[in-house]
Amino acid sequence: MIQTFGHLVALFMILSISAFGGGKVVLPTLQEQAVNHYHWMTNQQFVDLFGISIIDGPSMMVVTLVGLKACMQYGYVIAILGALVATVAMFLPSSILVLIVGRFWDSWKTSPWHESIQRAMMPISTGLILAAAYIIARHSIHTIPTAIMGLVALCLMLFTKLNPVIMIVAAAGISWVFLR
Amino acid sequence: MSKNPDITVEPASDTPPRVSLWELIFFFGLIGLTSFGGGLTAYIRRLAVTQKGWLTDEEFFSALAIVQILPGARVVGISVYIGNHLRGLVGATVALLSIMTPPFILVSCLGLLYFHYGENTDSKALLAGVTAVACGLMASMVFEAGQKSIRGLFDVMMILITFLLVRLAHLHVQYVILLLGPIAIWWHRPRPDKKDEAPEQKEAVS
Repeated sequence: MIQTFGHLVALFMILSISAFGGGKVVLPTLQEQAVNHYHWMTNQQFVDLFGISIIDGPSMMVVTLVGLKACMQYGYVIAILGALVATVAMFLPSSILVLIVGRFWDSWKTSPWHESIQRAMMPISTGLILAAAYIIARHSIHTIPTAIMGLVALCLMLFTKLNPVIMIVAAAGISWVFLR
Repeated sequence: MSKNPDITVEPASDTPPRVSLWELIFFFGLIGLTSFGGGLTAYIRRLAVTQKGWLTDEEFFSALAIVQILPGARVVGISVYIGNHLRGLVGATVALLSIMTPPFILVSCLGLLYFHYGENTDSKALLAGVTAVACGLMASMVFEAGQKSIRGLFDVMMILITFLLVRLAHLHVQYVILLLGPIAIWWHRPRPDKKDEAPEQKEAVS
């Protein structure tokens, strides 16, 4: 049991600081380790767990479920502990890095270069958001109803001050009723 | 600096507003609880920049770029950044815990149910509409970020080159930033003739 915890911590701390470009880039490594190296689960289980994990939270919530499954053999309480260990090991190191760099960045505010970097980074950030929107569109807009929902959400965001929480909850309700 | 009349609260960028820890817990907890389907950064920007006025668009988008150079999930990174920006180390810790706890509980429970009963196919139908709306949220941020960042032809070109490098050349995000960042920073470098930079004095080291 302690050994499994140790494996989880070692694996996810490494994945945490190597997830350059967001969580999804380490997904193949995670699958390789969880399925073929540690034999915590089958390939099908891994795919199923990934499907569950995208329901809520940031990308890579699948690590929570990998931790859960890895410790499942010791009972539900230990399994939840395993999920917690995996989640902390995955999200804490990268957060500490952001904290350090963020503080450095904010403390730099008086330099004229701060303004330059801000102006330089904004178009790049915009391009990345465009790319992300494009990727989400390719995976989410399949049918006419989903296309309409996406367009309506876009218009509501651009032309009203409606809270996006309401839109997300409404979308969940609508698809539960009509798309099932 | 272009003033956008749509934005009602525009804080002075050098002094972030005083925000209580409870407000941070509620803010990030709510986002964590309802963050299904992606498009989350759009969502955080709408609430933190447009509605709360906790930081400016300039601060948000440049922080977003920095977060994307660093490893880790973008959403977690930007939350930690905002928490630190508003309340320092305590704020960052609270932001991280608040955004992670609801999905942790929800996903763990679903995982236990899965191992107990097998997969629930209804969740896929639920997600279809949610991801479509998330896509709309993301697309809206393209327009709003574009509006803020385009001040010349150079900026338009940077947006397009970034998009093409990521989509067509499949270059990793951090390489794109490390490649284009220095070029763009040089282009926007501080120039002595710019009047808005005039009051800035470099620290003289004698």
